[in-house]
Amino acid sequence: MFPMVELKDVSTVYEGEKFPSIRNITLTIQQGEFVTIVGPNGAGKTTLLETVNGLLPSDGSIAVNNKNLKTDGTLIRKGIGYVPQEFACDSLTPFIVEDVVMMGRYGKMGLLRSPTKEDWTIVQGVMSFLSVDTLKHTPVGKLSGGQLQKVMIARALAVEPEVLLLDEPFSNLDMKSRSELTEKLTALNKKGLTILMVIHDRASIPSACKRIITLEQGEIVSDKKFKVIQ
Amino acid sequence: MSDLLVLAILGAVLTGISCSLVGSFVVRMNLSSLGFAMSHAAFAGAALGLVLSLDPLGLAIVFSIGVAVLLGPLAEKANLPTNVILGVIFSLMISLGLIFINLIPQTAMSSVALSILWGSILGMTVTSVLRLLVLSVAIVLVYWLFFKEFQAIMFSRKLAEASGINTRPFYYLILFLTGITVAFSLKLVGGLLVFALMVNPASSAYQFFYDMKKITIVSPLIGILCCVSGITISFLVDLPVGSSIAVVSSAIFAVAVILSPKRKRG
Ligand SMILES: Nc1ncnc2c1ncn2[C@@H]1O[C@H](COP(=O)(O)OP(=O)(O)OP(=O)(O)O)[C@@H](O)[C@H]1O
Ligand SMILES: [Mg+2]
Repeated sequence: MFPMVELKDVSTVYEGEKFPSIRNITLTIQQGEFVTIVGPNGAGKTTLLETVNGLLPSDGSIAVNNKNLKTDGTLIRKGIGYVPQEFACDSLTPFIVEDVVMMGRYGKMGLLRSPTKEDWTIVQGVMSFLSVDTLKHTPVGKLSGGQLQKVMIARALAVEPEVLLLDEPFSNLDMKSRSELTEKLTALNKKGLTILMVIHDRASIPSACKRIITLEQGEIVSDKKFKVIQ
Repeated sequence: MSDLLVLAILGAVLTGISCSLVGSFVVRMNLSSLGFAMSHAAFAGAALGLVLSLDPLGLAIVFSIGVAVLLGPLAEKANLPTNVILGVIFSLMISLGLIFINLIPQTAMSSVALSILWGSILGMTVTSVLRLLVLSVAIVLVYWLFFKEFQAIMFSRKLAEASGINTRPFYYLILFLTGITVAFSLKLVGGLLVFALMVNPASSAYQFFYDMKKITIVSPLIGILCCVSGITISFLVDLPVGSSIAVVSSAIFAVAVILSPKRKRG
């Protein structure tokens, strides 16, 4: 094991705001860990995720997979899958599901390259994994909330990430889909994927998750690790 | 006369292509008000050029790109005050433009001055057609080379950034090309309505397709149709070109909305 995500004294202030939304966060997440972040509305959970992948500029030092986020942000993001908390698209959105999933790989593929057969195999794979392959030709603007959520998760996985950031991935899912997603995340974690997941409902924390961090008013108020029970 | 007409038609085809291609990005990224402000800045710049006997085209480019550089960062954040600020800039630019036009020495210049407002089919020269050709080729090339990055950005700039695309250069590249496009289009279409030619063909194409490739091909075709029929109408009934093009493109947009399969309820 080695540290996959390392935050040292990190604070994030939204532009135009006086006070930081997360403050003095110091946190190390090992490669292969499955971490859940809980906390009330406005605690700074989303802010923390978007600080980790550098979408929000912050103070302090952040390293992902031993690379410095400040200098290698774009490179680091090629290895991070991100599922945002809310993602809406209007009904005119001119993209179909398989293209949106493929877009997850565009950054990683690099400039002046088009998707190869291999890229399509991976995209097909993650779509079947999330059971959205039957929707692959559907325009994303016509999906239901839960279907769109699954497509966004597929897109994040299409990156073949080292780290997966999930913000409330269960919010739009029915019970059956929740337990399926839990199984899938558990399987991915077993294969070594580092997962950092924000969740509201403590009851739906997967049993594979061995560490729960509680955030309140921008600060970590508890960080509990559980022993692996075999 | 026939030479002028050929040049006007060539100019129209190329203006249609370049305006609606940048337009497909501007529309999708909700940058319409920025495009609006930029096109009126180009007009003000050209008017100032005529007052000072400087190159109107050069000043038009400086003004419209100036607006993009000043306000692009604001529009990037897409928060509310941006539209207010852009509205102020837009009215400021149109006022400056009209003031400059008033300052232009009377007689010979006045028809040129008015043509940068409404456009003119008589203004096309071989040089201006060649300029438009180079611009169109450049825009097509940029889209073609970076199509996958543009697609990702047009789906969601935030997610594109999150997946490791450095989106800022692409964003500003299009704003830069938009600035040059509105400046180059002034002669034919005029500064008041060049905006319609950016937004309407692209918006019409968005009504029909769920595929960015098709939209990127159909928008310029609609743009060409608007421009060529616009100058034909102007030629036949002696209307300002900008107005004819705006009317034709609005009519096409209205028909597109009515026929749009995206809006039909199954
Ligand atoms: N774009 C923004 N600009 C300014 N302040 C913001 C912005 N987004 C969030 N905040 C503030 O930052 C704090 C943390 O917000 P954040 O979205 O991280 O909360 P959260 O824990 O994800 O909440 P929720 O459970 O509702 O999703 C809140 O006080 C919020 O008001
Ligand atoms: Mg949140």
